[in-house]
Amino acid sequence: MDFDPSANRVVGTARIPGAPAPKKAPVPVKIIVAGGFGVGKTTTVGAISEISPLTTEAEMTSESVGIDNPGQATMKTGTTVAMDFGVLTIDQTLKLYIFGTPGQTRFAFMWDDLVKGALGALVVVDTNRIDDCYPAVDYFERAGLPFVVGINTFNGQMSYSVEEVRWALAVREDVPVISFDARFRASVRDALLVVLDQALDKAIRMKS
Amino acid sequence: MTYPDPDDPVAPARPGVRPFLQSGPQHSTGGYTPTGEQPPVEASTNKLRPFVITSGRTDGGDPDIGMETQVTLVHGAPPSRLSPETRAIVALCEESPISVAEISARLRLHLGVTRILVGDLRASGQLDVHVLENDTPDPDTIMRVIRGLRSIS
Repeated sequence: MDFDPSANRVVGTARIPGAPAPKKAPVPVKIIVAGGFGVGKTTTVGAISEISPLTTEAEMTSESVGIDNPGQATMKTGTTVAMDFGVLTIDQTLKLYIFGTPGQTRFAFMWDDLVKGALGALVVVDTNRIDDCYPAVDYFERAGLPFVVGINTFNGQMSYSVEEVRWALAVREDVPVISFDARFRASVRDALLVVLDQALDKAIRMKS
Repeated sequence: MTYPDPDDPVAPARPGVRPFLQSGPQHSTGGYTPTGEQPPVEASTNKLRPFVITSGRTDGGDPDIGMETQVTLVHGAPPSRLSPETRAIVALCEESPISVAEISARLRLHLGVTRILVGDLRASGQLDVHVLENDTPDPDTIMRVIRGLRSIS
């Protein structure tokens, strides 16, 4: 497929030739990429984003610590957490945001905000540290957000098979557990398409 | 008709305020200002005061303003005195719609602070904040995202 790297990666067919660039704000949709430290969240975001991932910082407030981490009363207030995100322009009226968020329980204060209006989530798993993803899986299950478990294969190596990871996570039958390579755009695209499938299922169920 | 008193402690007592905020009538150079022409002391001078004050407000951000929420400039908005941070936000919104998260990242402002400042600018009529009426994604929108993603290689 011909591809001009200098052009914006505008995909889809909604752009009408010759039409003036609309000043109207596009509708934003978002997908969350969650997982433990160093599992490849930023790589995942960067692989699919049309801009190099941006970082925003959020502040952990004492209030949210009190609510979300009753067991961690020693958590200092004012702790900053960085979050990487990317953008994919679907068409001029629709923009997909991909937010990478730390998967540890102590960052759960951000998840309520993130989950609001999100299409779904990709939980990135490193088979060497499977338990890093448990809090994110717990959270999305409870929040009722469609999610997919994506095992990042890094260089094609996995310490455990997809079936073993599924067994360890004990997720519901209808939660897909897949493997993907965060470094490759097509692989990330396919993983996100599985998330969107789940999102579509839920949206159709909600409507009927 | 007032003549500023050079010994008046009020005027010299304000060096702590950043220079751009010191533009009240008490700093007019002539020493004599007809009362009728005095610019009003704008409430916004204090309201949009330093980032320091804003960062003190850890909540008060509009819960409707999400990270992905799109923000656009209101053209022809009445000029208002802005802090460097809010001015930078307005400048970022000039070209095309931008998300709250992008504003936060590009200006290196904390997300919470960005939200509060965007909320302020919305309240003062400088920015339009496009809050979605319905934040549960509908099947048609998801289908469009799927088609869009499928078409990339």
